[in-house]
Amino acid sequence: MKCGTLATLTAAIVLSVATSAMAVEGARAFFPAVEQERGRLVVHGATDVEAMEPLIRDFQSTATDVAIDYTDYVTNDLYRDADAACRKQENFGDILLSSSVDQLVKLANDGCALAHSSAETEDLPDWANWREEVYGFTFEPSVMVYHKDFVPPEDVPHSHGELTDLLRFKPDYYRGRIGTYDLRQSGIGYLLAFLDAQQASTTYGRLLESLSRVEAVLRCCNNAVLSEIDSGNVFIGYNILGSYAYAAALRNPKLRIVLPRDYTLILSRGVLIPKGATRPDLAGRFLDYLLSDRGQEVARRKAFFFSRTGPLPDNVDGPPKLIESGIGRPIRIGPALLAAQDQLQRSTFIDDWTRLLRGSAGGKTP
Amino acid sequence: MRREPSLFSRLVVRVALVLCGGATLLAVAAWYYARAAADDAYDRLLLGAAIQITANMTVDHGNLAVALPTSAFELLGLAARDRIFYRVIGPDLKTLTGYEDLQTDLDLTSARSAPVFLSARYRDVPVRVVVAARALSDPSFSGWSYVVLAQTTEARRALAGELTSRAMILVGIMSVLALAGTVLAIRYSLLPVSALGAALRARDPQDLTPVDVDVPRELRPFMASINHFMGRLDERVTLLQRFIADAAHQIRTPLTALSAQVDMLEEDEMDEVGKRHLGRVRKRVGQLARLTNQLLSHAMVIHRSDSVRFKPVDLSDIARKAFRAAVPITVDPDIVISFEAPPGPIVVLGDAVSLREAIANIIDNSLRHGTVSHLAVRVVGGDGRARVEVEDDGPGIPRSEWESVTARFVTSKTGEGSMGLGFAIAAEVASAHRGAIGFQEKGEHGFTVIFDLPAQVEGAR
Repeated sequence: MKCGTLATLTAAIVLSVATSAMAVEGARAFFPAVEQERGRLVVHGATDVEAMEPLIRDFQSTATDVAIDYTDYVTNDLYRDADAACRKQENFGDILLSSSVDQLVKLANDGCALAHSSAETEDLPDWANWREEVYGFTFEPSVMVYHKDFVPPEDVPHSHGELTDLLRFKPDYYRGRIGTYDLRQSGIGYLLAFLDAQQASTTYGRLLESLSRVEAVLRCCNNAVLSEIDSGNVFIGYNILGSYAYAAALRNPKLRIVLPRDYTLILSRGVLIPKGATRPDLAGRFLDYLLSDRGQEVARRKAFFFSRTGPLPDNVDGPPKLIESGIGRPIRIGPALLAAQDQLQRSTFIDDWTRLLRGSAGGKTP
Repeated sequence: MRREPSLFSRLVVRVALVLCGGATLLAVAAWYYARAAADDAYDRLLLGAAIQITANMTVDHGNLAVALPTSAFELLGLAARDRIFYRVIGPDLKTLTGYEDLQTDLDLTSARSAPVFLSARYRDVPVRVVVAARALSDPSFSGWSYVVLAQTTEARRALAGELTSRAMILVGIMSVLALAGTVLAIRYSLLPVSALGAALRARDPQDLTPVDVDVPRELRPFMASINHFMGRLDERVTLLQRFIADAAHQIRTPLTALSAQVDMLEEDEMDEVGKRHLGRVRKRVGQLARLTNQLLSHAMVIHRSDSVRFKPVDLSDIARKAFRAAVPITVDPDIVISFEAPPGPIVVLGDAVSLREAIANIIDNSLRHGTVSHLAVRVVGGDGRARVEVEDDGPGIPRSEWESVTARFVTSKTGEGSMGLGFAIAAEVASAHRGAIGFQEKGEHGFTVIFDLPAQVEGAR
């Protein structure tokens, strides 16, 4: 039975979505129901299917008659398609998962979401819930990742300022060896950069300047940056989501994770039930599962490794109590994120960013 | 017939209606003011956010640039659940950024002097809109630019709802208190009515004097009417009594003559039929004489009860005189007749003549209608009471008739033609002396009529 399921799954994870040009993100996976299928939940997620799989499997063990059709998107594509479907009042999946919560907030603000509340949603902190429409179900610090073999211990940066100084003092060594998001392609990259600018504009300006000087490597997504570090092409990755970083560090013990000690942005991956959902009931059940203690525990152990309540995972360099120390700054899911989503703001910010990094970015963008 | 609703329910229902009406009116007013207050409070946030946005407008290389401040959205985010829509408009009236379809039918120029607020609908939800303008004057670029900022009204409605419901709770409490107060006040105000009713009910049936109860001004006409009516009734009754007394008096003289004439008739010359008829005539004449005497006695008793001042008298003495007067010498010798009285005097406050008349009537009644072989008259004192008990071995009066025999012209043996006034006289006298006539059923003793009076208390005079 188990072998059969696995075989079906392997066969299922093959289709690449035509609209997505990305090779790494943009896969479709089908998880058949454990027993007789009585309902099918269509999940559109800007989250790697590998990360979601343990959660989906565990959910299916509680809901044995539900099959799950999971499609992986890049955040911007997910937003574009969901927005278009909302405008045309069409169906676009039963539930949307995205690391780019600002885009989900924008969707909810535009009236594209269905409210859902239950006992599980009651316990969430305010910053992880807007209008009972957008919920944050993960706890993912934005971290720095370095390759132990190439970054000597004295070089390891413990804050944004230290990274800036490191790049300033050893620009030649790190030229082309610092990797980060390409804001033009990644919604979460833009959001993290925008919030960086909000948190500490001077530090951020100096950091951007340093990144420009060392001709930072820009990649669409977390995993692309991480694989560059894994292969030793890039020594330090900046603004990588902790969950991906930890998964990569588990695969390659030479990858080390640092939580900046001046401030650490904490992203709570968003989940939203779109207005056109055909099975909002199943979507609600899945949402409740994700927020439940059981779902949170599975996420902490197998998918996202960090949790709101638990301690930091092993081998992570950072303050033990993120929130209590005031270093961890959860990204509040709420209308303030609309400022980040303003198209003029966005294009101005990205233009400025591109202009600053153009020298180094031009040739290295895939 | 429809039952007339009580004064209490009339008042309560009307006051409750007024209170309900008032509460409804207050609810509407509370809702209206709460809405205005909520709008006012949240309008300030909206305006604050709009001002922040206009303040962030800059001219950069001849182009209008606006960096939307996060703080503006955080400000609006204080209304945690509300959605936000905005549109930034340049001097060429083209939308620079935001929701292009937001309130496109506005006259933007009106916002130049002061920000304009309006309520509208956007994307099928009610929104509150503010339009703020800013004049930009840069050498390379000048003109008016605008911000249209809209927010859904959930927080406003929630606040207004909360304020209204709190006001409603207060109004509700006040209404309940007012109603309770009204109920108490009405109950208190209506007390004199029941007091008047109780005073009338407690009156002696014979008492036709004006009612003297302290009543509120509003009830005085009503009481005056009652007293007026009582006065007229009293006059009528007095007239009637006087007429009866006069009539009885007028009848007595011819009746005496008639009686004498009847006695003079020669019986010997009559045949048997004639004798029988004469016997009947004699009997009827005797009855008539007795009745006339009773009517006169009744009239006298009433007259005396109105006019004679009571004095301390010895009830034993009076009873004895009455006993002598009532028991004729011609009484059947087979009947055992006894009179018992304690050795000392039993003093009551009263009119000796009326009392004697009353006791004599009771004894007479007993002799005529009750006594078969035994009659006992006892005078008993003690416990502040003075009683004359008249006991006979007759059949007695059934309990159901006790009430009615003291009324005029009723005897226990209806249809025998003897319209007795005896008990009526006795009852009249007893009540005039603040006493009463009582009966005791035939048991160990015979049937007993009790003439019960309050005794004169020692040293009271």
